[in-house]
Amino acid sequence: MNKHNGELEIDEDAPFEKRFWTVQRIGWLIMLLVILAAMFGFTGRGGLSGINKIKKASQSQSLVLEYDRFQRYQVSDKLTVKLQQLQTTAPTITFSKVFYEKIRVEQVVPQPEKVEINANEITYTFSISQPSGDVIFYTKPMHAGSLEVMVKGPNNERVPISMFVYP
Amino acid sequence: MDTIFRGAIIYIFLLIIFRISGKRTLYDATLFDFVLLLIIAETTQQALLGDDFSIVNGLLLIITLIFMDICLSLIKQKFKSFGKVVDGTSLILLDNGKLLTERMKKERVDEGDILESARALHGLEHLSQIKYAILEKDGKITIIPKEKAS
Repeated sequence: MNKHNGELEIDEDAPFEKRFWTVQRIGWLIMLLVILAAMFGFTGRGGLSGINKIKKASQSQSLVLEYDRFQRYQVSDKLTVKLQQLQTTAPTITFSKVFYEKIRVEQVVPQPEKVEINANEITYTFSISQPSGDVIFYTKPMHAGSLEVMVKGPNNERVPISMFVYP
Repeated sequence: MDTIFRGAIIYIFLLIIFRISGKRTLYDATLFDFVLLLIIAETTQQALLGDDFSIVNGLLLIITLIFMDICLSLIKQKFKSFGKVVDGTSLILLDNGKLLTERMKKERVDEGDILESARALHGLEHLSQIKYAILEKDGKITIIPKEKAS
Protein backbone atom coordinates (compact mmCIF):
# COMPACT_ATOMS: atom_id res chain seq x y z
CA MET A 1 0.00 0.00 0.00
CA ASN A 2 1.28 3.46 -0.93
CA LYS A 3 1.86 6.09 1.72
CA HIS A 4 0.68 9.55 0.80
CA ASN A 5 2.75 12.34 2.43
CA GLY A 6 4.40 9.56 4.40
CA GLU A 7 1.35 9.09 6.62
CA LEU A 8 -1.85 8.19 4.75
CA GLU A 9 -1.98 4.60 3.55
CA ILE A 10 -4.11 4.64 0.44
CA ASP A 11 -4.46 2.62 -2.77
CA GLU A 12 -4.71 5.78 -4.85
CA ASP A 13 -3.62 5.65 -8.49
CA ALA A 14 -4.14 9.19 -9.81
CA PRO A 15 -2.66 8.56 -13.31
CA PHE A 16 -5.04 5.60 -13.74
CA GLU A 17 -8.02 7.69 -12.60
CA LYS A 18 -7.01 10.46 -15.03
CA ARG A 19 -6.94 7.96 -17.90
CA PHE A 20 -10.28 6.61 -16.75
CA TRP A 21 -11.87 10.08 -16.81
CA THR A 22 -11.15 10.13 -20.55
CA VAL A 23 -12.73 6.67 -20.95
CA GLN A 24 -15.72 7.92 -18.93
CA ARG A 25 -16.22 10.95 -21.18
CA ILE A 26 -16.02 8.74 -24.26
CA GLY A 27 -18.63 6.48 -22.61
CA TRP A 28 -20.92 9.48 -22.04
CA LEU A 29 -20.54 10.47 -25.68
CA ILE A 30 -21.45 6.92 -26.77
CA MET A 31 -24.56 7.09 -24.54
CA LEU A 32 -25.57 10.35 -26.23
CA LEU A 33 -25.03 8.83 -29.68
CA VAL A 34 -27.15 5.79 -28.75
CA ILE A 35 -29.97 8.06 -27.58
CA LEU A 36 -29.77 10.15 -30.76
CA ALA A 37 -29.70 7.00 -32.92
CA ALA A 38 -32.78 5.70 -31.08
CA MET A 39 -34.58 9.03 -31.66
CA PHE A 40 -33.84 8.84 -35.37
CA GLY A 41 -35.22 5.30 -35.43
CA PHE A 42 -32.09 3.16 -35.70
CA THR A 43 -33.22 0.96 -32.81
CA GLY A 44 -36.73 0.39 -34.12
CA ARG A 45 -40.21 1.40 -32.92
CA GLY A 46 -40.82 4.83 -34.39
CA GLY A 47 -38.29 7.33 -35.65
CA LEU A 48 -37.93 9.07 -38.98
CA SER A 49 -39.40 7.69 -42.16
CA GLY A 50 -36.66 6.51 -44.49
CA ILE A 51 -34.57 5.31 -41.56
CA ASN A 52 -36.97 2.96 -39.81
CA LYS A 53 -40.33 3.44 -41.54
CA ILE A 54 -39.78 2.11 -45.04
CA LYS A 55 -42.08 2.33 -48.05
CA LYS A 56 -41.18 0.18 -51.03
CA ALA A 57 -43.10 -0.25 -54.24
CA SER A 58 -42.91 -2.40 -57.32
CA GLN A 59 -42.07 -0.69 -60.61
CA SER A 60 -45.72 -0.49 -61.68
CA GLN A 61 -46.73 0.82 -58.23
CA SER A 62 -49.32 -1.95 -58.03
CA LEU A 63 -47.66 -3.43 -54.93
CA VAL A 64 -46.61 -1.06 -52.13
CA LEU A 65 -45.11 -2.31 -48.86
CA GLU A 66 -44.83 -0.35 -45.63
CA TYR A 67 -42.78 -1.85 -42.82
CA ASP A 68 -40.24 -1.14 -40.08
CA ARG A 69 -36.65 -1.84 -41.09
CA PHE A 70 -35.52 -2.23 -37.47
CA GLN A 71 -37.55 -4.60 -35.36
CA ARG A 72 -37.08 -6.30 -32.00
CA TYR A 73 -37.08 -9.95 -31.08
CA GLN A 74 -40.57 -11.17 -30.15
CA VAL A 75 -42.03 -7.66 -30.25
CA SER A 76 -45.17 -7.18 -32.36
CA ASP A 77 -44.91 -5.11 -35.51
CA LYS A 78 -46.87 -4.81 -38.72
CA LEU A 79 -46.38 -4.99 -42.45
CA THR A 80 -48.89 -3.17 -44.64
CA VAL A 81 -49.34 -4.36 -48.21
CA LYS A 82 -51.17 -1.93 -50.51
CA LEU A 83 -52.55 -3.53 -53.64
CA GLN A 84 -53.44 -1.24 -56.52
CA GLN A 85 -54.64 -1.66 -60.11
CA LEU A 86 -56.08 -5.07 -59.25
CA GLN A 87 -57.19 -7.13 -62.21
CA THR A 88 -58.67 -9.94 -60.15
CA THR A 89 -61.04 -10.22 -57.20
CA ALA A 90 -58.87 -12.95 -55.68
CA PRO A 91 -55.44 -11.36 -55.46
CA THR A 92 -52.56 -13.28 -53.94
CA ILE A 93 -49.60 -12.17 -51.87
CA THR A 94 -46.67 -14.54 -51.68
CA PHE A 95 -43.77 -14.42 -49.25
CA SER A 96 -40.51 -16.35 -49.32
CA LYS A 97 -39.77 -19.12 -46.78
CA VAL A 98 -38.20 -16.76 -44.20
CA PHE A 99 -41.60 -15.16 -43.63
CA TYR A 100 -43.13 -18.28 -42.14
CA GLU A 101 -39.95 -19.75 -40.70
CA LYS A 102 -38.61 -16.79 -38.75
CA ILE A 103 -41.64 -14.56 -38.31
CA ARG A 104 -44.86 -15.44 -36.56
CA VAL A 105 -47.87 -13.95 -38.32
CA GLU A 106 -50.27 -13.20 -35.48
CA GLN A 107 -53.14 -11.80 -37.50
CA VAL A 108 -53.96 -10.87 -41.07
CA VAL A 109 -56.53 -8.14 -41.76
CA PRO A 110 -58.65 -8.75 -43.79
CA GLN A 111 -58.65 -12.50 -43.22
CA PRO A 112 -57.37 -14.43 -46.23
CA GLU A 113 -59.68 -16.77 -48.11
CA LYS A 114 -56.93 -19.34 -48.44
CA VAL A 115 -53.37 -19.88 -47.22
CA GLU A 116 -51.08 -22.25 -49.05
CA ILE A 117 -47.63 -23.24 -48.04
CA ASN A 118 -44.93 -25.09 -49.93
CA ALA A 119 -41.22 -25.73 -49.48
CA ASN A 120 -40.17 -22.23 -50.53
CA GLU A 121 -43.16 -19.92 -50.21
CA ILE A 122 -46.37 -19.07 -48.41
CA THR A 123 -49.25 -17.68 -50.46
CA TYR A 124 -52.24 -15.77 -49.07
CA THR A 125 -55.31 -15.42 -51.29
CA PHE A 126 -57.78 -12.64 -50.49
CA SER A 127 -61.21 -11.67 -51.68
CA ILE A 128 -61.18 -7.99 -52.66
CA SER A 129 -63.98 -6.60 -54.82
CA GLN A 130 -62.47 -3.16 -55.40
CA PRO A 131 -59.53 -2.32 -57.69
CA SER A 132 -57.34 -1.53 -54.70
CA GLY A 133 -57.08 -2.65 -51.11
CA ASP A 134 -54.82 -2.79 -48.08
CA VAL A 135 -53.78 -5.92 -46.26
CA ILE A 136 -52.15 -5.69 -42.83
CA PHE A 137 -49.97 -8.48 -41.47
CA TYR A 138 -49.44 -8.25 -37.72
CA THR A 139 -46.11 -9.93 -37.20
CA LYS A 140 -43.71 -10.94 -34.44
CA PRO A 141 -40.10 -11.79 -35.37
CA MET A 142 -38.95 -15.05 -33.80
CA HIS A 143 -35.33 -14.72 -34.92
CA ALA A 144 -32.72 -12.06 -34.12
CA GLY A 145 -30.48 -10.80 -36.89
CA SER A 146 -31.11 -9.75 -40.46
CA LEU A 147 -34.13 -11.05 -42.35
CA GLU A 148 -34.52 -10.90 -46.12
CA VAL A 149 -38.01 -11.57 -47.44
CA MET A 150 -39.15 -11.60 -51.07
CA VAL A 151 -42.74 -10.43 -51.52
CA LYS A 152 -44.62 -11.27 -54.69
CA GLY A 153 -47.83 -9.47 -55.67
CA PRO A 154 -50.85 -10.63 -57.73
CA ASN A 155 -49.22 -9.62 -61.02
CA ASN A 156 -46.05 -11.50 -60.14
CA GLU A 157 -44.16 -8.29 -59.39
CA ARG A 158 -41.45 -8.83 -56.81
CA VAL A 159 -40.36 -6.51 -54.01
CA PRO A 160 -37.55 -7.61 -51.70
CA ILE A 161 -37.62 -6.32 -48.14
CA SER A 162 -34.84 -6.48 -45.58
CA MET A 163 -35.24 -6.05 -41.86
CA PHE A 164 -32.93 -6.21 -38.90
CA VAL A 165 -34.21 -7.76 -35.70
CA TYR A 166 -32.51 -6.67 -32.45
CA PRO A 167 -32.19 -9.38 -29.83
CA MET B 1 -29.88 -21.15 -22.38
CA ASP B 2 -31.58 -17.90 -23.37
CA THR B 3 -31.98 -17.00 -19.68
CA ILE B 4 -28.27 -17.45 -18.96
CA PHE B 5 -27.29 -15.19 -21.88
CA ARG B 6 -29.82 -12.58 -20.81
CA GLY B 7 -28.51 -12.62 -17.24
CA ALA B 8 -24.87 -12.43 -18.31
CA ILE B 9 -25.44 -9.63 -20.84
CA ILE B 10 -27.50 -7.51 -18.45
CA TYR B 11 -24.97 -8.06 -15.63
CA ILE B 12 -22.01 -6.98 -17.79
CA PHE B 13 -23.97 -4.09 -19.31
CA LEU B 14 -25.00 -2.70 -15.91
CA LEU B 15 -21.44 -3.09 -14.64
CA ILE B 16 -20.05 -1.09 -17.58
CA ILE B 17 -22.76 1.56 -17.55
CA PHE B 18 -22.45 2.26 -13.82
CA ARG B 19 -18.67 2.27 -14.02
CA ILE B 20 -18.78 4.78 -16.87
CA SER B 21 -21.39 6.94 -15.16
CA GLY B 22 -18.95 7.65 -12.34
CA LYS B 23 -18.49 6.88 -8.67
CA ARG B 24 -21.01 9.40 -7.43
CA THR B 25 -23.96 8.38 -9.63
CA LEU B 26 -25.76 6.05 -7.30
CA TYR B 27 -24.02 6.65 -4.00
CA ASP B 28 -26.23 9.18 -2.27
CA ALA B 29 -29.85 8.27 -2.66
CA THR B 30 -31.17 11.74 -3.37
CA LEU B 31 -34.68 11.94 -4.77
CA PHE B 32 -33.45 11.72 -8.38
CA ASP B 33 -31.11 8.81 -7.70
CA PHE B 34 -33.93 7.00 -5.95
CA VAL B 35 -36.22 7.44 -8.96
CA LEU B 36 -33.37 6.35 -11.27
CA LEU B 37 -32.76 3.25 -9.18
CA LEU B 38 -36.44 2.32 -9.17
CA ILE B 39 -36.76 2.72 -12.95
CA ILE B 40 -33.56 0.81 -13.69
CA ALA B 41 -34.65 -2.02 -11.37
CA GLU B 42 -38.02 -2.29 -13.08
CA THR B 43 -36.55 -2.14 -16.60
CA THR B 44 -33.88 -4.68 -15.74
CA GLN B 45 -36.43 -7.06 -14.29
CA GLN B 46 -38.41 -7.06 -17.52
CA ALA B 47 -35.33 -7.42 -19.71
CA LEU B 48 -34.11 -10.29 -17.53
CA LEU B 49 -37.32 -12.28 -17.30
CA GLY B 50 -38.93 -11.46 -20.65
CA ASP B 51 -42.30 -13.17 -20.71
CA ASP B 52 -41.14 -16.28 -18.89
CA PHE B 53 -42.32 -16.07 -15.30
CA SER B 54 -41.62 -19.70 -14.43
CA ILE B 55 -39.76 -20.64 -11.25
CA VAL B 56 -37.06 -22.41 -13.29
CA ASN B 57 -36.34 -19.19 -15.17
CA GLY B 58 -36.12 -17.18 -11.94
CA LEU B 59 -33.85 -19.75 -10.27
CA LEU B 60 -31.61 -19.98 -13.34
CA LEU B 61 -31.24 -16.23 -13.41
CA ILE B 62 -30.34 -16.00 -9.73
CA ILE B 63 -27.74 -18.76 -10.12
CA THR B 64 -26.30 -17.07 -13.23
CA LEU B 65 -26.02 -13.67 -11.56
CA ILE B 66 -24.47 -14.99 -8.35
CA PHE B 67 -22.07 -17.23 -10.28
CA MET B 68 -20.97 -14.25 -12.39
CA ASP B 69 -20.43 -12.23 -9.24
CA ILE B 70 -18.27 -15.01 -7.76
CA CYS B 71 -16.26 -15.26 -11.00
CA LEU B 72 -15.74 -11.52 -11.07
CA SER B 73 -14.49 -11.42 -7.49
CA LEU B 74 -12.13 -14.35 -8.20
CA ILE B 75 -10.72 -12.60 -11.29
CA LYS B 76 -10.34 -9.36 -9.32
CA GLN B 77 -8.46 -11.24 -6.61
CA LYS B 78 -6.14 -12.90 -9.12
CA PHE B 79 -5.52 -9.87 -11.33
CA LYS B 80 -5.26 -6.68 -9.31
CA SER B 81 -5.21 -4.47 -12.39
CA PHE B 82 -8.57 -5.93 -13.47
CA GLY B 83 -9.94 -5.02 -10.03
CA LYS B 84 -8.72 -1.49 -10.59
CA VAL B 85 -10.58 -1.27 -13.89
CA VAL B 86 -13.79 -2.69 -12.43
CA ASP B 87 -13.80 -0.88 -9.08
CA GLY B 88 -11.50 2.10 -9.64
CA THR B 89 -9.23 3.39 -6.88
CA SER B 90 -9.63 5.79 -3.98
CA LEU B 91 -8.88 9.40 -4.84
CA ILE B 92 -7.73 12.23 -2.58
CA LEU B 93 -9.90 15.31 -3.11
CA LEU B 94 -8.56 17.47 -0.28
CA ASP B 95 -4.88 17.11 0.43
CA ASN B 96 -3.48 18.60 3.62
CA GLY B 97 -6.18 21.25 3.73
CA LYS B 98 -5.89 22.07 0.02
CA LEU B 99 -8.81 21.38 -2.33
CA LEU B 100 -7.85 19.54 -5.51
CA THR B 101 -10.41 21.28 -7.70
CA GLU B 102 -9.63 19.55 -11.00
CA ARG B 103 -10.20 16.14 -9.47
CA MET B 104 -13.39 17.37 -7.79
CA LYS B 105 -14.71 18.73 -11.07
CA LYS B 106 -13.97 15.52 -12.95
CA GLU B 107 -15.63 13.41 -10.25
CA ARG B 108 -18.58 15.81 -9.96
CA VAL B 109 -17.98 16.54 -6.27
CA ASP B 110 -18.19 20.02 -4.77
CA GLU B 111 -17.19 21.62 -1.47
CA GLY B 112 -20.72 21.09 -0.18
CA ASP B 113 -20.39 17.30 -0.59
CA ILE B 114 -17.11 17.28 1.34
CA LEU B 115 -18.58 19.46 4.10
CA GLU B 116 -21.65 17.22 4.26
CA SER B 117 -19.47 14.17 4.88
CA ALA B 118 -17.37 16.15 7.39
CA ARG B 119 -20.48 17.08 9.34
CA ALA B 120 -21.99 13.60 9.18
CA LEU B 121 -18.85 11.66 10.07
CA HIS B 122 -17.03 13.99 12.47
CA GLY B 123 -19.32 16.93 13.24
CA LEU B 124 -16.82 19.34 11.62
CA GLU B 125 -17.84 22.89 10.77
CA HIS B 126 -15.17 24.24 8.39
CA LEU B 127 -13.07 22.97 5.51
CA SER B 128 -10.02 24.17 7.43
CA GLN B 129 -10.64 21.45 10.02
CA ILE B 130 -10.17 18.71 7.39
CA LYS B 131 -6.78 17.23 6.62
CA TYR B 132 -7.77 14.71 3.97
CA ALA B 133 -11.00 14.12 2.09
CA ILE B 134 -10.99 10.92 0.06
CA LEU B 135 -13.43 9.78 -2.58
CA GLU B 136 -13.68 6.05 -2.02
CA LYS B 137 -14.31 3.40 -4.68
CA ASP B 138 -18.02 3.19 -3.80
CA GLY B 139 -18.51 6.96 -4.19
CA LYS B 140 -18.53 7.70 -0.46
CA ILE B 141 -16.38 10.61 0.79
CA THR B 142 -14.36 9.82 3.89
CA ILE B 143 -12.84 12.55 6.03
CA ILE B 144 -9.71 12.64 8.15
CA PRO B 145 -9.84 15.65 10.47
CA LYS B 146 -6.71 17.72 11.17
CA GLU B 147 -6.46 16.99 14.89
CA LYS B 148 -6.74 13.23 14.42
CA ALA B 149 -4.17 13.04 11.62
CA SER B 150 -1.54 15.02 13.51
